[in-house]
Formats: sequence, C-alpha cells, structure tokens
Amino acid sequence: MSTNLGKAQLLRCPQGTSLQDAGRALGSNYGIPRSGAMDLHSYHWANHLLKNTSQAVALELVQPGLKIKFEAPCRIALAGAASSVTVNQVVISNPSLLALDAGDLLEIGAFLTGARLYLCIEGGFQVEKYLGSGSDFVAITGTATRTTGEYLHYLPIQPKSVLQAKPKWATDWFELEAIHAYPGPDWALLSAHQQRILLDQPVHLSKLSNRMGIQLEELLTNELEDLPTNPVFPGTVQLTPGGKIIILMRDAGVTGGYPRILQLSEDAQSRLAQKKVGDSIRFQLLPTP
Amino acid sequence: MKPSYQLISPTLGELVWNEEPSDELLSIQFAYLTFVQTNFSTTILEVRQGFTRLSLVWKNLASQQEFVKLVDTLDLRPEPLPEKVWQVPVCYQPEYGQDLDDFVKSKNLSVAEVIQLHTQALYRIHFFGFLPGFFYLNGLSPKLHLPRKSVPSLAVPSGSVAIGGKQTGIYPMQSPGGWHSIGRSPLPFFDPNQTPPVWAKPGEQIQFVSITASQFENWEDEDRKNFLK
Repeated sequence: MSTNLGKAQLLRCPQGTSLQDAGRALGSNYGIPRSGAMDLHSYHWANHLLKNTSQAVALELVQPGLKIKFEAPCRIALAGAASSVTVNQVVISNPSLLALDAGDLLEIGAFLTGARLYLCIEGGFQVEKYLGSGSDFVAITGTATRTTGEYLHYLPIQPKSVLQAKPKWATDWFELEAIHAYPGPDWALLSAHQQRILLDQPVHLSKLSNRMGIQLEELLTNELEDLPTNPVFPGTVQLTPGGKIIILMRDAGVTGGYPRILQLSEDAQSRLAQKKVGDSIRFQLLPTP
Repeated sequence: MKPSYQLISPTLGELVWNEEPSDELLSIQFAYLTFVQTNFSTTILEVRQGFTRLSLVWKNLASQQEFVKLVDTLDLRPEPLPEKVWQVPVCYQPEYGQDLDDFVKSKNLSVAEVIQLHTQALYRIHFFGFLPGFFYLNGLSPKLHLPRKSVPSLAVPSGSVAIGGKQTGIYPMQSPGGWHSIGRSPLPFFDPNQTPPVWAKPGEQIQFVSITASQFENWEDEDRKNFLK
C-alpha cells in the first residue's frame, strides 16, 4: 500500500468483522459467490452520505466492541444496527456522519437494535479488488474476517472540516416482521397446504445463521426430491428433504440442488440481515411480476 | 428443446428445460447464452448456468419484459461443444480417498473395477458451482452412483475426487462435503491469482487418469504441464 494513504488500526476487532462492498457479480462464471454487504440498504445509505461510489469498501460489524484509531483525518458514516458510539470516549448522540481528526479513537458499543453495522469511510477502504470487488471471501482474499491489531488504509482528506449535514439514520424499516418474497422457481411443487403453512405463521431465525445462509427453527415437512443442480442467488429460499428452510445470503454458493421455493425481494434481504437469532419473521408473498 | 421462460422477480428470471442434463441440452443452453449476451449486453447483468436452467439477471423489469416478448419466437441452433479433453491425474488409494474402502463395499466392486469405471468415461463440464472452481460434470457410469452420505464430512481435503448420487466432482479447496471421496488429485483447481482462476471452461471434457501414491507425493509443478496441455 502507498505510504500516502491514511491508516486506521483495529485496536479491538470483534469476531465476524469483514470488509464488504456491493459484491462481485462476475464471479459466478467460476463458481465464486457474490459476497458483499448483507444489508445493502444500509451500506448504500451510508456510502451515499459520503458521496462514495457504489463499490466503496466498508467495514461490516456483526458484534459490538470495535475500537478503531484513525491516524489521519477522515469522514465516516454509520448505518445499519443502531449502537452507542463514542469518539475519544465522548458519546455521540447522532453518529450517522462524522468528521474525525488524526488520532481520534472511535468505539462502537452495544447494538440497541439490529444485527449488522456498516462503517463507511470517504473514498472507501483501500484494498486490492478482485473481479471488481474488495469483499472478503476466504477463497479469494485469503481471509473471511479482519483481526485485532491490523491496519486499514484510506484516502486522507484535508484536516477536519465542519459538517453541515445532520442526517438521521432510522431503523424502523427493519424492525418490521414482514419478509416479502416472490414465488421461487419451485414454489409450485409445494402443496397448497405447505404453501399456507409457510405464509401463515411467524418463523424464527436459528443459530445456524451466517453470511452463507440463515436457517429457520421451524421445519416444513415435505416429500420433495432433490432436483438437478441449478442457479441460486442471495435471497433464494431452499427447502431440504429433511424439511429445513434455508434462506441463502451473500456468501452462498452459486448453484444448489434443493427446491427453490421463494425468492426474497432486495429490501427483504436487507431487512432479514438486521434480524438476530431468535427473531421472528413472516413471509409475505408478492405476485410474480 | 425449446425452453419456457419463468419470471421470478422484477430483475430475475430463468429459461426452463425439463429434459435430463445432456450434451444436446448443453449445446442449446450455450446457444441461448450467446444470444442473450450478444443481443442484450446492455441490459443483462449476469447469466448463471445450471443443468436444466439458465438464470438471467436483468437491469430492470422493463428489460426483462423485452426479452419475454421475444423468447417464444426464438429458434436457435445448438452451438457445437468444444473438443478439448483435459487429463486429470488421480491417486485412487485409501490414504487419498478417505471413503474408498466404504465405497467399494457399498457398491460390491473391487478397487480396480472402480478405477476402471471412473477413468474410462469422458465427463462434460456443464458449469461451476457449490465452491469456487467446482466442476459440475455429467457422464458418471450408473454403476458408480451412490446416494450422498447421511452425515457430511467436516473437512474434505482440497483435490479430493468424490462421488455423490449420480455425480462425480473434485473439491477445489478444503470444505465440508457429503460426497464419497474415492481419490485425490495433485492439480490446483482454483487460483485467484490467475486470470481466469480456473483452467477449464464449461463445455470442455475431462478424463481422470490413475496415478500412484509415489507420483502423487513427488508431484512437481513441472508435471502439471504434462496434464494441463
């Protein structure tokens, strides 16, 4: 990395923290998952505040406890999970958009609501891009997550400037239970009874949830057989022969052999990414366009 | 082999065939792939191949609807498949294929018979999926079909050559997996430092070649040239 770049050290990096952008759409020809921010809505909102490109690399946090020290001035924006934020141990009441000075220490405390927080920086964190994306994915970048002690690089800006804008981040949109989905390619293989069960009652996120997929607690009994392996996407809901319902997320493989019963809308994928283990959701069917 | 088209979301739809995967179907899929990439290059964001589907990601609903209007009128000629055959060395021994012994017992075959059946066929690469660089291959002898393991292994080593259901494949990297490992190849199958990161293309074929444990152990990058040519 060029020595002209600003540096920020992760003095404390909670487990599961990764660098993400909007993902690598061109990787699927080689079986490379799309990756990218789990909650693209929040990621794009924060990037927009900074006038960043739609591929600027940001930090995705899945747990509180981040301590990061910036060695050069910068502007950052936070969106996603609402959390308690301090700069140099002073609580910031509206931390959506912040101008920081050299030496400033930013700390992200408890998540008040939501499951993923995005820390975007003006110009994006500077990493090598592969197939147009800097998103962490172990087979590509050699690491799935970031670690305590390491440095991130960014484009320094002129010494701290006063910010006029005071945008306010709202979280009510992801606190709703409804998860909108289109009928998937194999929806018609389900009986009317199975379709009703899936849509009528709340279902819950299980512990088996990560960037690849979110498995639900509830089972849906079925006699469906495996199908020929065909494409799947972030937001595809698969039903296994054992009745498990798995919602594929950003790091899922590009093809699968289980029936694909639903396809979440883009907004529903972002909302789902802010749900925690044990949270309830309700599938709501959208008409096929 | 005319496909139907199924809209899924405003930006996602797929071409649907209900035939068994075959060379003929792959030739037709390639024809549609080329057609879409040539004629809709500004509005198609991504094309994903599967055994019996071709998924299309569109810029917006309007561009998808353009295609819907057209699709039934299309009458495309199958595209010829490449003739390239790649030779892939495999050491078929229990130290390299952790499930080989169980596999031969389940199939009531000898190791020699399994090797013979597995190496005599040519396998067509249909697409990459599951893991980066993982080939979906068609052509496994029905005599080697075996349902996937009920309990998947947590760590199948990189290069493992395995059988799951009606399919055979190679794990390009260590991964959990439910297929039966019958051997291992010393070749690299995915390298993000290379462009492209894989050395074969969909439509090409591969053939497995049996090698000894000593050939596997003494494998040098030089040997690669004798195979990947």
